[in-house]
Amino acid sequence: MALLPDLPKGGFVFENFQRNEFLKAKGFRAPKATKTGTTIVGCLVKDGVILGADTRATSGSVIADKYSDKIHYMAKNIYCCGAGTAADTLYVTRMVSSNLELHRLNTNRVVPVICALRMLKQHLFRYQGYVSAALVLAGVDEDGAHLYSVTPHGSSDKLPFTTMGSGSLAAMAVFETRWKPNMTIEEGKKLVRDSVAAGIFNDLGSGNNIDMCIITRDGVDYMRPYEEANLKGQRLNSYVFDKGATPILTVHTIPLEVEEVMVRHMDETMDTSA
Amino acid sequence: MDVSFDRNQSSFDFNTVEACDNVTPEWLEPDSTGTTIMAVEFADGVVIGADSRATRGFYVSNRVSDKVNHVSDHIYCCRSGSAADTQAILDTIRYHLSFYEMELGEPALVKVAANLFKEMCYTYRDQLTAGIIVAGWDKRYGGQVYSIPLGGMMVRQSAIAGGSGGTYIYGYIDKFYKPRMTREECIKFVIEGISLAMERDASSGGVIRVAIIDKEGVEKKIIAGGDLPKFHEK
Amino acid sequence: MSAIGTGYDLSASQFSPDGRVFQVEYAQKAVENSGTAIALRAKDGVVFAVEKLVTSKLYETGANKRIFNIDRHIGCAVAGLLADARAIVNVANDEAKDYRSQYGTEIPLKYLKDRVAMYMHAYTLYSALRPFGASLLLGSWDKFEGPQLYCLDPSGLSYGYFGISIGKAKQSAKTEIEKISLKDKTCSELIKEAAKIIYIVHDEIKDKSFELELSWVSEATNGRHECVPQEVFDEAEKFAKDALKHDSDSD
Repeated sequence: MALLPDLPKGGFVFENFQRNEFLKAKGFRAPKATKTGTTIVGCLVKDGVILGADTRATSGSVIADKYSDKIHYMAKNIYCCGAGTAADTLYVTRMVSSNLELHRLNTNRVVPVICALRMLKQHLFRYQGYVSAALVLAGVDEDGAHLYSVTPHGSSDKLPFTTMGSGSLAAMAVFETRWKPNMTIEEGKKLVRDSVAAGIFNDLGSGNNIDMCIITRDGVDYMRPYEEANLKGQRLNSYVFDKGATPILTVHTIPLEVEEVMVRHMDETMDTSA
Repeated sequence: MDVSFDRNQSSFDFNTVEACDNVTPEWLEPDSTGTTIMAVEFADGVVIGADSRATRGFYVSNRVSDKVNHVSDHIYCCRSGSAADTQAILDTIRYHLSFYEMELGEPALVKVAANLFKEMCYTYRDQLTAGIIVAGWDKRYGGQVYSIPLGGMMVRQSAIAGGSGGTYIYGYIDKFYKPRMTREECIKFVIEGISLAMERDASSGGVIRVAIIDKEGVEKKIIAGGDLPKFHEK
Repeated sequence: MSAIGTGYDLSASQFSPDGRVFQVEYAQKAVENSGTAIALRAKDGVVFAVEKLVTSKLYETGANKRIFNIDRHIGCAVAGLLADARAIVNVANDEAKDYRSQYGTEIPLKYLKDRVAMYMHAYTLYSALRPFGASLLLGSWDKFEGPQLYCLDPSGLSYGYFGISIGKAKQSAKTEIEKISLKDKTCSELIKEAAKIIYIVHDEIKDKSFELELSWVSEATNGRHECVPQEVFDEAEKFAKDALKHDSDSD
């Protein structure tokens, strides 16, 4: 018996590369990761910071998940929106989240948002963009509210408002026209909603609901969904026809003639033991 | 029905589809600070400045980014190239230098800071896209500017421009640079240089950020878009 | 050996009941068995002088020198076990070299002596190690910091000095150094005084012959540590011998 179990090695596994090459040689396409063609946004307001996200996750042109959760928990005072490969955004935020909790227990303090930022960007930089996670990180700490965007390659920007994902251009257009400093939370909610909605309605990769998360010194208000942005429309008319709406012109009946009846008995009973 | 079909008989060209699939969406591309950065020594200090545009493909990912960064109390640097690479370098050097200053018990020389940047840029030259200007003041040698371009070379220059916009204004610098300018002259020289580059370089723009470093300390200034010198109106 | 030390002097990792580490003190004794080395801080630099004892007439002259270069700008004179001293000098050389390649400038002496002292101190902490039986005098001059002089001890302590002597005759050398007003003197004046002190403190009866080593690092040498030129050496040696003769004549 081994006293020490073999620890799994860290890093990427390239096993699937061979499989994918094989599939390609046979004329099939290699499976693709689910991407969250996404609209995620963040916006500083007077008393805190608001995050917003759509809920569509796509796999090619198929909507893989209509109610994907893109606002990830990092710590009690920090949340993070993710765009890119769904698995990567989920696991990178999960990993950093658990490290943040350990850091909180070690230091016995509210973890500063900058800690989360450093952990995320150093991880992403180490993997040189292959961890496909574009993030919007927000939180409140001793120094107030902070908002950062982080790219998959590990660069970051500190901004008063930011957008990420395939719908970022549409969402940014809304922010650029309407953002102003020191907005109230209500104003901020409206702006974030409209910004994500712009992504949902103008970007094919974004859609379905709007999730929102408001972080202030007093706590977190996580709204999922905040709004169901594009509900299926109601039909205005009923297109069921009344009975008899189509007149019967002629009737022709072909009777079924039974020529032979045969019954076969099975000797063995079906094996249902398993 | 035969699910697999012969691609060659299909009138639709699937190769193009695959090619399209392989293109990274613009929002997943690395950020780059396609930039104009500039630093000039004057009589008792240095002026270091940069535009504020960060780009991702053809998208301006940050129009108010800060590319004039604190390294230590009297040393600043300007970053150009990959945002991720230069930020990672800066974080590392800043940490290293703060430790160094604690151990030595005095502020680091600008040359020491520049050397740390050079060492890193040169060692990892195959993996990094970083053009950095280090500028600052120390009590031994006064104001100094060091340029660390792409391959990891380090050279001291009294005036230097860098980044994609830098190429547009080498002529301007060669013609108008004077040794031992006054503080005000030097600030004007840098701001005009950067705004000239911003007018010609698509990947430079936004506001101009400058830092003036001398023995008194550091003064940071922002020249908003509307307050830039207007050469086209002259 | 006093009874109280018995049994507590076998290891550097054990204190005696009155709080001493005997191994370190023995190492200091080893330093006091070697030929004297002195260093003087002038207003424009630092001079070194060493009494290198020659125990056999069959040795080549100039062998086993006790003045070293740590870097271009730092000089070092040693006393104690020469092999131990060389090991420390090697460490100091590496330290200076690493600093140069990492930071692109010359290592400040203030920093170097701390690093080397830390290294020496580490050898006073473990049972498997023996403290270095050597002391180092480190000196440098540059136009920003001026002259600097430090002495490192086997215990890992380091102090800055205006003038310092180590080795056999450190006491009498110290008395001689204290007679000089160091702060007003230049290196070219002090090099003669240094030579003279070595000649004065040399014990002709116990130690037959010795070689004088002289070096300096000063404004005049452009901040480089160098052996003094032959004519300066000859002049200093003549000055020392004359002074000695004069003294013995007047006695």
